[in-house]
Parts: sequence; C-alpha cells; structure tokens
Amino acid sequence: MGQTNLIHELQTIVGAEAVLSAEEELLVYECDAYTLEKNLPTAVVLPRTTDEVVAIVKLCNQLKLPIIPRGAGTSLSGTVLAVDGGVMIALTRMNRVLNVDARNRRALVEAGCVNAWITRDAASHGLFFAPDPSSQSACTIGGNVATNSGGPHTLKNGVTTNHVLGYEMVLPDGTVEWLGIEPDGGEEVDGYDLRGAAIGCEGMFGVVTRVLVRLMKTPPAFKTFLGIFESVDDASQTVSEIIRAGIVPGALEMMDQLITQAVEEAYHFGFPLDAGAVLIVELDGLPDGIKAQGKQVEKICHQNNAREVRVAKDDTERAAIWKCRKRAFGAIGRLSPNYVTQDGVVPRSKLPEIMRFIRATSEKHDLRIPNVFHAGDGNIHPLILYDERKPGETKRALAAGHDILEKCIALGGSVTGEHGIGAEKIDFMPKQFSEDDLAAMKMLRRAFDPAQRCNPHKMFPGGKRCAEFAPRKQAHA
Amino acid sequence: MTLTPNSIDQLREQLPKAKVVEAMDLSAIGDLIEHVPEDMTATAQAGMTLGDFQTQLAQQNQWLPVDPPCPANRSIGALLAGNASGPRRFGFGTVRDWLIGIAVVLPDGRLVRNGGKVVKNVAGFDLCKLFIGSRGTLGVIVEATFKLLPKPEAEVFLKKECASFDDAEQSLEQLWGSDLQPHVLDLHRLNGQPVNFVAGFAGARADVESQAKAARKLGLQSEANLDYDATFRPTAHVTESVAPADTINHLRSMTDCDFVARAGNGIMYVRHHHPENFKGGIGVDLASGPPALQTRIKNIFDPKGILSTL
Repeated sequence: MGQTNLIHELQTIVGAEAVLSAEEELLVYECDAYTLEKNLPTAVVLPRTTDEVVAIVKLCNQLKLPIIPRGAGTSLSGTVLAVDGGVMIALTRMNRVLNVDARNRRALVEAGCVNAWITRDAASHGLFFAPDPSSQSACTIGGNVATNSGGPHTLKNGVTTNHVLGYEMVLPDGTVEWLGIEPDGGEEVDGYDLRGAAIGCEGMFGVVTRVLVRLMKTPPAFKTFLGIFESVDDASQTVSEIIRAGIVPGALEMMDQLITQAVEEAYHFGFPLDAGAVLIVELDGLPDGIKAQGKQVEKICHQNNAREVRVAKDDTERAAIWKCRKRAFGAIGRLSPNYVTQDGVVPRSKLPEIMRFIRATSEKHDLRIPNVFHAGDGNIHPLILYDERKPGETKRALAAGHDILEKCIALGGSVTGEHGIGAEKIDFMPKQFSEDDLAAMKMLRRAFDPAQRCNPHKMFPGGKRCAEFAPRKQAHA
Repeated sequence: MTLTPNSIDQLREQLPKAKVVEAMDLSAIGDLIEHVPEDMTATAQAGMTLGDFQTQLAQQNQWLPVDPPCPANRSIGALLAGNASGPRRFGFGTVRDWLIGIAVVLPDGRLVRNGGKVVKNVAGFDLCKLFIGSRGTLGVIVEATFKLLPKPEAEVFLKKECASFDDAEQSLEQLWGSDLQPHVLDLHRLNGQPVNFVAGFAGARADVESQAKAARKLGLQSEANLDYDATFRPTAHVTESVAPADTINHLRSMTDCDFVARAGNGIMYVRHHHPENFKGGIGVDLASGPPALQTRIKNIFDPKGILSTL
C-alpha cells in the first residue's frame, strides 16, 4: 500500500481532519523536547476512542508499519521520536477526566488527559494526584505511564507507578487489555503485576488509552523553607543530613547560583543573586509534626552554614516558589541559545561528590552547567549550556553529559531517574546493565510485542539511529 | 523436587538441570549485603527472614514499612513472591512500593539484575514489578534492595467495639472524611465477638497524640494492638477484594464467618464457618484459563516449565 492509500485508510477510521500527513503539519511531530535528533513520522493520527486506536493498530499490523504512541511530546529523551517513520498515534484528543470517585480516592481519565487537570478536578474533594512533573500543565497521563514520571513531590509520595492503579492498553496485535485494578474493582489482582511491569515501558508495549489513578488527600498543612547557602557543597551536605536525620520532606529541591539568577531575572521572586545555592524544603502533613520537623530542618541548614532560612509566609508565596522551580528550565533561554539536560541519579549520600564532579566537568569542557534538581531523591538535572552556532560546542556539550552519566553509574546510580532512555541514552544501557539483564527486559517486551513494531529503535542498542537519516526526510510506507 | 542451594552460583547450576521444582529452600542464601543508613536503602539476600532484616535495620532506627504476619518465618524471597502485606498497608502500601532492585536467577541459570540501589530509577523496563507477586513462577529472586523509612517516633492503635455494621460504618466514614491520617484502618469480627473498628496512627509524637485525641472523640476509646492479624491470618481463610467503599456492604452480606478486613483497602480475610454454603472470593477463573498475555510471559521466562505454574 502506498502513502496515499495509507492516509485514505486512516481517514476512513478517524475522519479526514484527524489525520496529518503534509510535511508542514508533521513538523511539530518530528521530535519531542529532546531536539538533537529529528525525523518525521509517516502520518499522525488523532483518535477519539479506544475503538479507533484498535482499528489504527490493526491497520499498522497489516502494513507492518511502526506504531509510535504520543502524548504531549514533552519527553526529554526522544521517547516519541519516529526513528523509522511509521504511524504516530497522538492521544491528545482523548483527554477527558471521565470520573472522579472521591470515596474510593480514584479517578478514571483518558490517556491524553493533562496531568494537572486531574488535581484540578479532584481538588474540590480535598484530593490530589501526586506525581507532579515540571511539565504537568502540558504532559499527559498516558505519557506519565509510559515514562513512569516523577516530579518534585515524589520524594515522599512516590512516582507514577505508585499512583496508577490500572489502565487500558491496546496491545500491538490490536487486542485490548485492562492491566491492574479495575475502576470499580478491588486492590488484589490475580496474576502477574502487568500494570507495574508496563509502567515505564516508554510506549514499547502498546498504546495506553484510559488510566485509573489513585488520589491522595491534600495534606492539611505545608511549610516551605528556602535555605540560602554560600556554596553548592554546603547545600548538598544539608540534603544528605536531612535525609539521614529521618526527615522525609514532601519535596527537597536545589537550585544553584546560575539557575537562581536566571529564574530571578525571569520571574522576580526575590531570590538572592549572590547565593551559591538555594534549597527548597517543603514539609507536609499535620501542623504539630511539621512544626517540630521544621525546627530540625532549620537547625541542619544553619549547621551547614546557611546564610539565611526563609519560610513561605502563605499559600501565595508557596505557589510562587513552586512556579519558579517548575519553570526553571524555561528561564534557561536567558542564559544560552541551547542546552541539553541529563537526569542521572546517585545514592543520596553521594550528592556532594557528584556536584563537585559536575563543577569539574564544566571546567574541563569549558561550558557552563547550571543545576536545578530533585536533591532529596539524588536525582540531578545538570543543564549543559552550549551554542550550536559555535563550532565544536554541541560535541563538547554531549561529551560533558556523557562524563556526568558515567560518573553516576560509577557512584552506584542510574543514568535516568525520570526522563527515560528513549533515543538519547541507548548507549548507556550496556554500561549500566549486563547483556543478560538486557536480555530479560527484551523477553518481557516479546510477550507484549513479538514483532517489535511498537515504538521501535528505542532503549536497546542495535536499532536504527536518526543520525543515519537525513533530517526532515519523510519515510514512506 | 526440592532445591536447597548453598549459594547463588550453586542455584544457577541446579536450576537448569531440575525437571520440576516443587519447593525451594534458600535459607543458606540469607545474608544482609548492605544497609546504608544515610541513603535509607538496604540490600538483603532472599533467604534472610523479614524479622532478621528488620532487626538489623532497627539498629539504625530504620525499617522496611511492611508488616505481614510471621516475619520470623517469612523470608524476603517469600515476602516478594507473594507481595505479602499487613495492617499497615493502608498507610505504607505494599512491598511493591519499596523494592528498588532485584537479582533473579532465571530457569536457564542466568543471573539477571533489574533496578538498582537508587530510590528513583527509570532505566529499562521495571522487572521488579513483574517478579513481585509472581509466586516464583518466572525465576528465583535471590537478592533485593529496598528503600527504607525512619521508624516512626510514636505509634498508637485505638479501637471501638461496634454495636452493628451501621455503627462501624458511621465511625469509619467519619474517620475517612476527617483530616486524620491513619496508617491502619481495620475491621475484625473474631470468635463470636462483636465487630471491632481499629485505627492506627504513626509518625511524629505530637501528631500521633493529637490524632489519637481526635480519634477518641470519634468513639475509638480503647487502646488496641494488631495481634488479631498475626493470630488470624496464618489460619485457613479466603481473601476477598472489593473497592474500598464497598467493604462494609460486602462484610454485611456474609453472616456466617470470622474476618479481618482492611477497610481502607477493601481487602478481607474471611473464614466461613460453612464454606460449602459460600460462593465467591477472588481467584483465577479456571474455566477460561489464564489470560494470553500472562501465559506468553510464563512461556518466555520458563519455556521448559521448570518452575511452578501461576
């Protein structure tokens, strides 16, 4: 079947206005928030129902075309890159909150539902959805399931896999399975925990269409501290000591000087421009315990040479702090035309060491590397700044990223805490895992997708790479 | 046959040669590999008992927040194979929420690791979840790494003897809708006693005290403990699971039984006095066979059928 026929068949399933195939329409879909590799899908389809997804998947099977499930495209690792063309199934029109079941603290939503909408609809019941990636006002729950998303407040509450109870998935053969807890069902589910096994599969096991999430009660009290430090070393040490003291904050985030300056310039919160690092420590829970733990937090900050420890005076100020934190990446444009970010993880006691290493890496490659990250989890986000117009800088930026990730592995950590492997970090998989470890992962994939047609050429070495393709050249069916 | 390997290496030799393994004794593979209090993580071999593991962690005032019955006789391997849980499940989830890395010997003898030692990690597929609760049908878990919590500064359990299910329901709904943050929400009716409603609070001392005071006002007047769970659950029972809101109605419908129920989770452990009169309970519908996807996974991981079926 040629290109025209494919488009026609897709249009028969979803209607003409829900199929994109002209090059200018497809450009938006040539990459996600990881922009170093790009390729156009053959077509983009925007289904409105699970039945339409099934029909699309079955058509792709007949034609042996790759299927690339896509949410909002906010992935930072090229997870939804159409490496070899194929049909991109964008779930953004399946975006309803279907039901908020306040008594059972559950919500049923369509896969394209934006993360923040769940809490928006649950808030009137005193409930919220815990995973809060910085992209939460855009990213979709289906994408969260695919990448097991985290966020600042997952330190205490856990990540997506701890808050997604079940979901409907269209398998690559077109069958529809409900994995995990049913919307009206009990927590004990027979058989293997396929819900858990497929969360974080990066869209390689099937297309998620509906998701049942767990809602939590909104804590009655919050206390948000801003610890102002002279150096990253002192701030890192404070993080390690807060954890060691047995305090489990709701969130524990760090911004270094370069980030703080950029954020301040962009959002005018009142961050000190000369501080080496700022820690955001948020306690949540009941008022009495927070008061006691707050004193401990202040003490640990001061013991580690904090210049000042501020407390957010009300909800408005607290919201302003989080707005700055979550939009920090957006302020980077003020510092540099390009950046590449990594999200390696180290054991929390190794934070001071990895931060020193990042500083040395910055000097070695002569590139600025500001840091804004989930310190309490040991999940770093160095932002390597470069200018692609300057010869050699892109290459140096990539080399710096590689150095940092290799150090994370050497320190007993991981190359990704929440962004995923995608197309970007494939080369690190054999460094972090043995051949047998990878073989076992592929065994699980084989059960879901024997033909490996769902989001192919991701995660594992040996597939095609976009570098081998001329950019913006459309693959043909 | 029963396998009793002395080491992981020996297990890797024995397993592929075995025809059918009915039982596995990993007690010789039972060391604490490491406990890193400053990272709040620990790694243990599967043969170690949960009780011994908790004792080691407690030296640094930390714990793995799961509490299934019989920790002294329950190995880490068994804990994971069955995803076992106890009364504190409402507050802390199950071991699924705390496991961050595993090593597994596959039926063909390969040693496979997944996850790692850091608390946040999305590198590769999450095989930890596949193996938890797989009842030893896909491979033999030999080592596990957990994230831990500090032991709560204080913990208290309170109960109310309820006049009826309506009475129990009223108390439960009041607590459920309040600002309190219980980590245990149980109902039990044992040995002809009335229905008891049990709530537990753990955490900072000041919080536990203020919550206990509030709970007493809701009618949970007596001090309690969780011994009922440890006593009841090792005896014969069936497990029922419904959406949490349906718990009391489900219990109401079963007149002739003893039970311990996780009211916050909708899970009920039930002993029917006349089981022949009772139809229901969860369980695989054997008539239709296990779902195709489950069978495919089993066949891929254990093609020769060395390990037990799910």
